[in-house]
Amino acid sequence: MARAAYEENNDPLEPMNRAMFKVDAGIDKALIRPVIKGYRAVVPAQGRKGIDNFLNNIRSPITFINDILQGEITRAGQTLGRMALNTGVGFFGFFDVAEKWGIEDHNEDFGQTLAVWGVGDGPYVYVPLLGPTTARDGIGFGIDAFLTDPLAWYSRGTGAMNWVEWAYFGSAYIDTKDVTMDPLDELKKSSLDYYAALRSSYRQIRAKEIRNGAPGPMEDFDQ
Amino acid sequence: MPTLSRRAFASGVSAIALLSVAAPLSAVMAQAQPDAAAFVGDFTRKGITDILSAPIANTEKQQRFRDMFKTYFDLPGIGRFVLTRYWAAATPEEQAKFTKLFEDVIVYTWSRRFSEYNGQSLMIQGQQADGKDGTLVKSTIVGNNSSHFGVDWRLRKRPEGFKVLDIVIEGVSMAITYRQDYSTVISQTGSFAGLLAQMEKQVADLKAQQGA
Repeated sequence: MARAAYEENNDPLEPMNRAMFKVDAGIDKALIRPVIKGYRAVVPAQGRKGIDNFLNNIRSPITFINDILQGEITRAGQTLGRMALNTGVGFFGFFDVAEKWGIEDHNEDFGQTLAVWGVGDGPYVYVPLLGPTTARDGIGFGIDAFLTDPLAWYSRGTGAMNWVEWAYFGSAYIDTKDVTMDPLDELKKSSLDYYAALRSSYRQIRAKEIRNGAPGPMEDFDQ
Repeated sequence: MPTLSRRAFASGVSAIALLSVAAPLSAVMAQAQPDAAAFVGDFTRKGITDILSAPIANTEKQQRFRDMFKTYFDLPGIGRFVLTRYWAAATPEEQAKFTKLFEDVIVYTWSRRFSEYNGQSLMIQGQQADGKDGTLVKSTIVGNNSSHFGVDWRLRKRPEGFKVLDIVIEGVSMAITYRQDYSTVISQTGSFAGLLAQMEKQVADLKAQQGA
């Protein structure tokens, strides 16, 4: 039975990953959840959506560069168009005007570029505070952070992280946790082994991003 | 979760959450889509009128949802896919027990969120061939505040008509996710009976939460 790569667990570090997953659940309960509850209490849903759009717009150069690296010229154009529209008309990115005009959002990163270049995803790794990743995606994340992220260019030469980077990192972190908290709770409720369900979901989502949204093969159903 | 595209992840997993509200129950704007797409359109439309917007008690909604699920989904096919080699190795009694428990898991997981439906609609985007005798129907669920996500329906033609084998929400296949989840439980508990016991407990917990 042929099985797509993203269906394999490839999790040789599972005992350690599970330990980290447990640590993360503790941190989540003690620290992250109260912060997110506070954030939701202070900032209304519309404001949170605007912040999410703003942060997404800030990282669009990362998507643009990786579009180019993957040879996706049309999608690079879409990214550029979105950036221009949303930064200009969308009030520095708070409003996703481009989407309303029919230019769909997509995400690229160096992990996906490596995949397009033929690099396999490697072992699954669960990192406390950051969540699920793989060897390839972790390396891709590092490369994006140092090379393709415009904030990294901005602070080039200043040495340690400056306040702009900290502010960006902090708000992006809170935004991510805000957006993912409810869906993850739902996944936890619907699964028996939350760790395994999350690992599977992560790999499937990444596989779909790498395929640029095309449906995956499912020949197993006809076994 | 920076290494994960946070948006893709959020939309993927929240789609699972939303789907339980929207998919079986959506107003459907399928027009002029032949057979397979029409099938998806029909039963989702039925879902919204007969279950979601119906002025009936939640227990009655659960029952109707269960009937629909049994009618439109290929439960043995799903069991075969989700359990792979364990399915073949199981006795017919074990297979029947799994199918019944899986049905309960789906019914009680989804019915928790029936009340959250507020007018999401499902638009059929098209269909394409999918494996042998299969069709993939692509759709988008559109919610309020312009949120939307993609849902693909994997159908197989059976003697009695189309049956749903899998729902893929923003790239996350329910069947694959359950397969990974359940095979992990089987290898950890060391037996098929271990999985059935955990499913029984999950169903009991879900029922207790809903007073069903």
